[in-house]
Amino acid sequence: MAHRIVGQRFGRLDGADKVTGAARYSADVTLPGMVWGKALRSPLPHARIVRVDASRARALPGVLAVLTAADVPDLLVGRRMFDMPLLARDRVRFVGEKVAVVAALDPDVAEEALAFIEVEYDELPAVFDPADAIQPGAPLVHENPGAYHGAPAERPHANVQSVLRFKLGDVDAGFREADRVFEHTFRTQLAHHGYIEPHAGVIALDEDERVQVWASNKMPYRLKELLSHALELPPARIRVNLTPIGGDFGGKGSLMDLPLAYHLARVTRRPVKMVMRYTEELMAGNPRHPSVVTMRTGVTKDGRIVARRATALYNSGAYAAFKPAPSVNLGGTSMGAGVYRIPHLLLEGFCVYTNTIPCGHARSPGEPQMLFAEESHMDMIAKELGLDPVELRRRNLLRDGDALANGHHLEHVRATETLDAALAASDWAKPKPRGVGRGVAMGHRHIGVGFTNAQVRLETKGTVTLTIGLPDTGTGAHLVLRQVVAEVLGLSIDEVQIELATTDLFETDSGVGGSRVTHTGGRAAFHAAEKLKEQIHAEATKLGTPDASFATIAQAAAREGRTLEAVHFYDAKSHAAVTSFTAQVAEVAVDPATGQVTVLRFTTAHDVGTIINPLGHQGQIEGGLIQGLGFALMEELQTAEGRISTLSLGDFKLPTIRDIPPLTTVIVEDAVGPGPFRAKAIGEGSISPVAPAIANAVADACGVRIVDLPITAEKVYFALQDRKGRS
Amino acid sequence: MIAFDYRAPRSLDETLAILQEYGDEARVIAGGTALVTMMRQRLAQPACVVSVRGVAGLGRIEATNGSIRIGALVTHREAECSPLIQERLPVLAETFRRVGTIRIRHMATVGGALAHADPNQDPPVTLMALDAGVEVQRAGGGRELPVAEFFRDYYESALEPGELVTAVTVPLLPAATGASYVKFLPRTADDYATVAVAATVTLEPDGEHCREARIALGSVATTPLRERAAEALLSGARLGERLLKAAGSAAKTAVDPLDDHRGSAAYKREMTAVMVERALTQAWAEARRAARASG
Repeated sequence: MAHRIVGQRFGRLDGADKVTGAARYSADVTLPGMVWGKALRSPLPHARIVRVDASRARALPGVLAVLTAADVPDLLVGRRMFDMPLLARDRVRFVGEKVAVVAALDPDVAEEALAFIEVEYDELPAVFDPADAIQPGAPLVHENPGAYHGAPAERPHANVQSVLRFKLGDVDAGFREADRVFEHTFRTQLAHHGYIEPHAGVIALDEDERVQVWASNKMPYRLKELLSHALELPPARIRVNLTPIGGDFGGKGSLMDLPLAYHLARVTRRPVKMVMRYTEELMAGNPRHPSVVTMRTGVTKDGRIVARRATALYNSGAYAAFKPAPSVNLGGTSMGAGVYRIPHLLLEGFCVYTNTIPCGHARSPGEPQMLFAEESHMDMIAKELGLDPVELRRRNLLRDGDALANGHHLEHVRATETLDAALAASDWAKPKPRGVGRGVAMGHRHIGVGFTNAQVRLETKGTVTLTIGLPDTGTGAHLVLRQVVAEVLGLSIDEVQIELATTDLFETDSGVGGSRVTHTGGRAAFHAAEKLKEQIHAEATKLGTPDASFATIAQAAAREGRTLEAVHFYDAKSHAAVTSFTAQVAEVAVDPATGQVTVLRFTTAHDVGTIINPLGHQGQIEGGLIQGLGFALMEELQTAEGRISTLSLGDFKLPTIRDIPPLTTVIVEDAVGPGPFRAKAIGEGSISPVAPAIANAVADACGVRIVDLPITAEKVYFALQDRKGRS
Repeated sequence: MIAFDYRAPRSLDETLAILQEYGDEARVIAGGTALVTMMRQRLAQPACVVSVRGVAGLGRIEATNGSIRIGALVTHREAECSPLIQERLPVLAETFRRVGTIRIRHMATVGGALAHADPNQDPPVTLMALDAGVEVQRAGGGRELPVAEFFRDYYESALEPGELVTAVTVPLLPAATGASYVKFLPRTADDYATVAVAATVTLEPDGEHCREARIALGSVATTPLRERAAEALLSGARLGERLLKAAGSAAKTAVDPLDDHRGSAAYKREMTAVMVERALTQAWAEARRAARASG
């Protein structure tokens, strides 16, 4: 089907405002009389709070309020499992936990005041490693987590937050069918999302005691619900105002400092702004879980996988509160099956409490961890079997009708085509110079589900306004939604404006996340626009001029006191029977004298649906890929005894443009998605296979297998030395 | 508010008078790439910040007899792009090019890079290998000291309260000399070096023997280091691959790196050997080219 607007390359219409600084983020919101809040954080990983004395801080000129646990309600907050106090009460459980909060006339005074708060601690034994934490007799991070609201029932150890399990067939029987069984263990690191905008929020109480909220949060309606609980106020008393978001990557869905900003506003009777410093982000944001993943696979002599067991231990840190899924776990655990048909499967993810930073969701939560293990494991098996790694994959790829680990049967499976596309574009079969290696890895990502409201209104000048309760987290989603409406109504992109609703307008919205916005927001906008189109036709018929312009129609309705508008609530409850496959090839050079890995080129192939905006689509592919590259090679929050030492972006390194190799993208288009115009999702498709593709390429280049991320030059160097020493 | 006095003198004399008045309570700011970060992290809380950006006469790059004199306020970007430096001391232009990002280089100054005394910076390493001198002024006098004597400890220079770096004087390379700067960046292109090495090699007229070699190291100790033991191995010796490797091994034993996010101490020690060998190999090749060009 030919489209006019869908499929056209549109540059970002909000780009100019963002690069010139005109865009107003939450941290830019300034209200009359506004004061600043700052938090005092625990210097210890686990301790009893003996005494807090804030009297000297309270006496400091410019300080309006100091709150400790004694001054705020004794309640626990969270997204699914409610286990986190507003301020540490009696006990701190990680370095960076908030113990007190100050409101002052300016941020420097607020920060200065923190130094005048005296806290006496009595240090407790702490546990940092998830494997240690689940041993008998390990220090307990929480005494009775089962009692927390939202706590899952299964708890093999008091330090286990949650268990997520996927089963197909009978895994023990499957292993009995196997000719060979392979087992390998992998580790991935603690990594921050690296968004540019740190968490920021402004809270103001207006005259009728309503709570006005401006926050870098991607789920305004969910935020309203969570705040209603945390502030013990009816939802109608809370209004979340949408602002642009400076990057999310899964990290902007929690309450963070907002309840404390509210209590400071309540006490000071002033609007309160809290903006986390980046150091605070790195010590107490909600980063990607570190993992220890053990993969065990049974194969037949001819390389068919008959059984697999994968066990992931996720170091979840001191609280489960940041995790948004009902399972309080990481859905990416299912990626332990990779893109393969495995008749007997048992995948388990354990989220474990430790005295470290609480982790949350990060772009395709759990998948980069599991796929690093899974796709590295595949190459290691291939090597043991003497099979080409591509051939081993081919023999096991998913086909139409096969079930995923969650039992979901797939249609329109394009795994083989996607793999072939990546191999062809990467010159997979061509000879390589010495010291150069190629590695392949695959993955897939579902098309997200959720629910969204969209309202469209015909303006008297003939343009259309789309009102939506979804913020744009920086992905260009709003542009996609405008394209959908413009396409349906036969308008140009400039004739469709977007307006952000506050949470007063609609009943609900699932917000941004989980690769859902093009699907849910797009379908809501599509159907709302279809409804408006019908109204416009009816109106034109009534006027007796079927060719009347939109302006004429809108004005005619306005003369009768009517506005033509339509709302659609789209609710996608279950996943479509299609997924999106990714196949990637990394080509690397390894310097044997230093271990330095240089990615020479990178190829990524994607099985996608209709592409609404090719420019934004490509941006998502490249952005995810570069984030995957950072995860593979450099991004690591280094910790010792629960203390993070990489506390600035000078030490926690993200890739810069000079670190990006030439990228080749191949699109395998097959328009069968559930989104508008049969679109699929793209936001989380490219990140996860990057690290195993690079690890496999490093092994191909120099024979060294790195099983823990990131793949640093130092690890490769010492592995090479080790091998030299042994031979 | 963390209040501090702010002064923006227009002349050198005025600057030196202010620095004398405030003594160790004053911090000089030029590009601000180091001091602003330190103040934000509360590692520095000066009572007075003295901006020298408007001070006349400290921004020149000029050829003097046998040297290039670079004013303290010359930015890294100006040094990198200076035709004079590019032509006469290309290794120095290249060193400035390797600093941070172009945004940093437009702000950071040559004098600031020295006074900051950060052992991870690039320019001090090359300036040390080139045997540069630092000009320092204070109210009522001045002194010049070799870069090799300028750094005392981690973020600590030989500057006394009241003193200001005003210029650095870099001797041109003698005949039949090559120089190199090797910055080892295994993690990302935008980082401090894991190990940095600057080297010079001067050949005897026979083109085979080394008259003099100078080796300076960065990021491997609390200050940039001159590596004289490795230099001594080369001086007077007939150059060859094996000797350069031996010089690398000698350098490895002289360093005392810290474990940090850029590598463990053990790895940095190993990489010192590799990078010294690579820097010397490059400098030697340059020296042969120079010898051929003049011969």
